[in-house]
This record gives sequence, structure tokens and C-alpha cells, in this order.
Amino acid sequence: MSMYKNWWKVLGAILVIYSTVAGFLMKTPELPIIRESIRNLYFHVPMWFSMIILFSISVFYSIKSLRSNDPADDIKAVESVNAGVIFGLLGIVTGAIWAKFTWGQAWSFDVKQNFAAIAILLYFAYLVLRNAIDEEQRRAKISAIYNIFAFPIMVVLLFVLPRLSDSLHPGNGGNPGFNAYDLDSRMRMVFYPACLGWILIGCWIYNLLYRLRDLERNKLSK
Amino acid sequence: MNLAEQIKHLIKKELLLEWRSKYALNGVLLYVVSTVFVCFLSFVSTDKVTLNALFWIIMLFASINAVSKSFLQESRGRQVYIYTIASPLALIISKTIYNALLMMVLTVIALGFYILVFDFGPEDLGLYMVAALLGSLSFSTIFTMVSAIASKAGNGGMLMAILSFPIIIPVLVVLIKLTKNAMDGLDRSVSLDEIGLLLIINALVMSVSVLLFPYLWRD
Amino acid sequence: MKKFTVTFLMFLSTLQLFAQGSGSTITDSLYASDKIYVVVACVLLILLGLLFFLFTIEKRLKKLEKK
Repeated sequence: MSMYKNWWKVLGAILVIYSTVAGFLMKTPELPIIRESIRNLYFHVPMWFSMIILFSISVFYSIKSLRSNDPADDIKAVESVNAGVIFGLLGIVTGAIWAKFTWGQAWSFDVKQNFAAIAILLYFAYLVLRNAIDEEQRRAKISAIYNIFAFPIMVVLLFVLPRLSDSLHPGNGGNPGFNAYDLDSRMRMVFYPACLGWILIGCWIYNLLYRLRDLERNKLSK
Repeated sequence: MNLAEQIKHLIKKELLLEWRSKYALNGVLLYVVSTVFVCFLSFVSTDKVTLNALFWIIMLFASINAVSKSFLQESRGRQVYIYTIASPLALIISKTIYNALLMMVLTVIALGFYILVFDFGPEDLGLYMVAALLGSLSFSTIFTMVSAIASKAGNGGMLMAILSFPIIIPVLVVLIKLTKNAMDGLDRSVSLDEIGLLLIINALVMSVSVLLFPYLWRD
Repeated sequence: MKKFTVTFLMFLSTLQLFAQGSGSTITDSLYASDKIYVVVACVLLILLGLLFFLFTIEKRLKKLEKK
């Protein structure tokens, strides 16, 4: 997936447009309480997938920057965290709105809500750590180490812990699985393209941020 | 010198240093005792769930204080000296083992004192002890590495707290759940999931720190 | 790439069939319950987030151009 090629950006745009239109217009299963807001599945959930993919990209480049000592890898790592944080915040706020109207409270201390907030805190800590170090090479090395160190914990936080306790989210604890909503194959036809589309848009945002930062750096060194 | 021997020597060195000053042990014990006492005086009546959470929060701060000194308080000169004689692998493993030992002693003493002051008797004391030992092990593996990162980053204490809290929260959540099971005296097979998860987290953290520390240590 | 576009277009056309099959979904469900506004609010928020991101990029680019 070359950085300067356009096809995947266009693909992402088409998928997102398609999922937005289809997300509003397609028929959904009749569900109590959630009602029509089930359509949020196409908008709220892809935010989290994009965030997780972006954070994984960041860990990948952190590992690469530890081995290569190349400042470009370090910038890639931090910019994908920046893009991931945007998506994480969007995911939290859309989740809070959705929760307000279905669970009755914007913050209902649901495990997934809490742990997602903590995962974002983890990456804020990463950004704070970067600001605390002045020297460029040391900053790259130390923050890469923290990023890699924190990643397994984030995986435990987001994928393992919610399964151990009851949650209001589907698919956790005593709740019926995601498939209870998803049985409708038409919903799946919107949901999967939505996820792929938003992930591609996330990669595009990260891409733009990286290229901008790269330009700024080149300007500074001249 | 091979790795095992280096580790043994380094642990001996840490123990000797600690034995001479008794700074960490006495300081942190005093901290735990006074915090427990303050809590005892300020809470008029509490239920067991709160007491359990309170114990872990006290232990959290105590272990941050105890473990962060392992890298933050070492002088630049001593670091350079150790760097020349020992491999980074031996250093991180020995520090982690030493910290785990220190934390286990501290936790057991603190738990005894806590039970004494609050009349806080878990139904299943054996399981509670296992949880306490696992907790001190996890605190020490995570905080040792984070304190190494914070000390390399330059400005110590503040950064240590910021970096370690998001990482320790998952461990804390599992620990509180496990100890609550122990307090209610649930059947031990119920808690196997949590024990397994804690062990997995520790193994993960340990292997990641062993992999990463050599990169951190050479300047 | 070309193959992919074709597949995707065909995919879209099949979906079209579904949409027609379900008839007047808009009148049936979109206004049938208040909760659709929740979705609108969320989509709006995501849009605002993206716009905010555009503005930050704009600001940084302007700074670059000034130099």
C-alpha cells in the first residue's frame, strides 16, 4: 500500500460514503430499546477498529525505529498515535451519546467504556513522555520502548479483560453475542465495508500527518 | 561470568546496599503503616469491598515509591560502573527479582498490619495471600521497567506516575476481583481465570522488558 | 484495480436490489422513532472531528508556507 498511491484512498472514501448512505437507508432488524440507533453500529464501532489498527501501525514503526534508528520511522510512530487518538476520542464521544439514549447515562461505568478510556490515557502518557525529552534521538528511542512495552497491556485491556466481567456491550459477560444483532446479513453488508472504509480513512489521515511533519522537519533543517 | 552468576552477584549487591541503609524497607513500611492508620482514623465505618480496594490502593502507592528508587536513585557514576561490568540482561532480571522480593516482604507485612488494624479477615486467607504475592510480583515487574524508562527520560517522579498508572490499572482491576473472591470465600476454581491472567500478564511484561531493556540501557 | 472496481460496482448493484425489496424504508423507520437522531448526532460528531483535523492541517500548512 504505497503512501502516494491514490487507489486505496478512493476506495476508503467510496466505502465510507456507501456505508453512510446504506447505513441510514437500509432496513435493520426490529430491536427493543435500541430501536433505530442500532445504525450507530456502522459509525461508532469502526472508530475503535481504526484506532486499534493505527496503534498497531505505531507499534510496528516503533519496533522498526529501534532497529534502524531512522528518524522517519519515529515520526511515523508518533503520527499514527496522533491519528489513532483522534479516532479513539471520536469513538468515546459517539459511544457516550449512544449510551445516553440506550443505557440512560452517558458514562455508565461499563467495562469497555472504562478500559477504552484507559487505553487512550496510555497513549496520552506516550505523548507526554515524548514532550518530556528534548534530545531527538533519545526521545525516539525511549518513547519507542514505552510504546512497545505498553502495547501488550493495551491488548489485555481491550480484548481480554472485558470478557472476564459483565458488560452492557454485546458479546461480553452475560450479554448475547454480537451476532444477535448481526444475524441480519444485510447489516453485515454495511458493517464490514464501513469498518474497512474507516480504517482506510484513518490510514489516510495518518499519512497526511506524517507527510506534513516530514515537510516541517525538512524546512527546519534547511 | 555467565548470566546466572551475574544475576546472583547483582542481587547480592542490592540486598547488601539495602541491608546497610534499610532505607527502602523502613521508609516504605513507615509509609504503609501511617497511611493505614490515617485511613483507620478517617473512615468511621466501611464495608469489606471498600477495605479491599483501599488495601490495593495503599499498596500501589507504596510499591511505586519502593520500586521507583531502583533506577531513579542510582547515581550516574554508579550506572556507568555497572554498565561496564554487567550485561543489561543480568541487570534488569536482577533488579526485577530483587524488587519482587522486597515487595513480597512489604506486602505480607502490610497485609498483617492491615488485618490487625481493620479487623479485616478474608474468608479464604490462603487465596488472599496468593493474590497478594502475585500482586507484588506484577507491581515489581511493571514498575521496574517503567522506572528504567522514566530515569532515562530524565525527569523522574512525575513521569513515573504518568507512565505507570495506565499500565498498572488492568493488573489492579484483576487483583481487586481476585481478592474479592478470596474475601467472599468463593470456591477456588472460580478464581483460576484471574490467577492465569495475572501470570500471563507477568510473563508478557517480563519477556517484553528483557527484550527491550538492552536497547534502553546502552546510550 | 479494474477487476476490483467492477466487482465493487456489482456488489453495489446487488445491494440496490435489497433496498428496493424493502420498500419505503424511510417512511417506515427513519421517522418512526426518535432514536434515529442519536445516529445523526454521532455522524455529525465524526464529521466535526474530521473538519477539526482539516483545520489543524490547514494551520500547519500555512505556517510552512510562511517560512
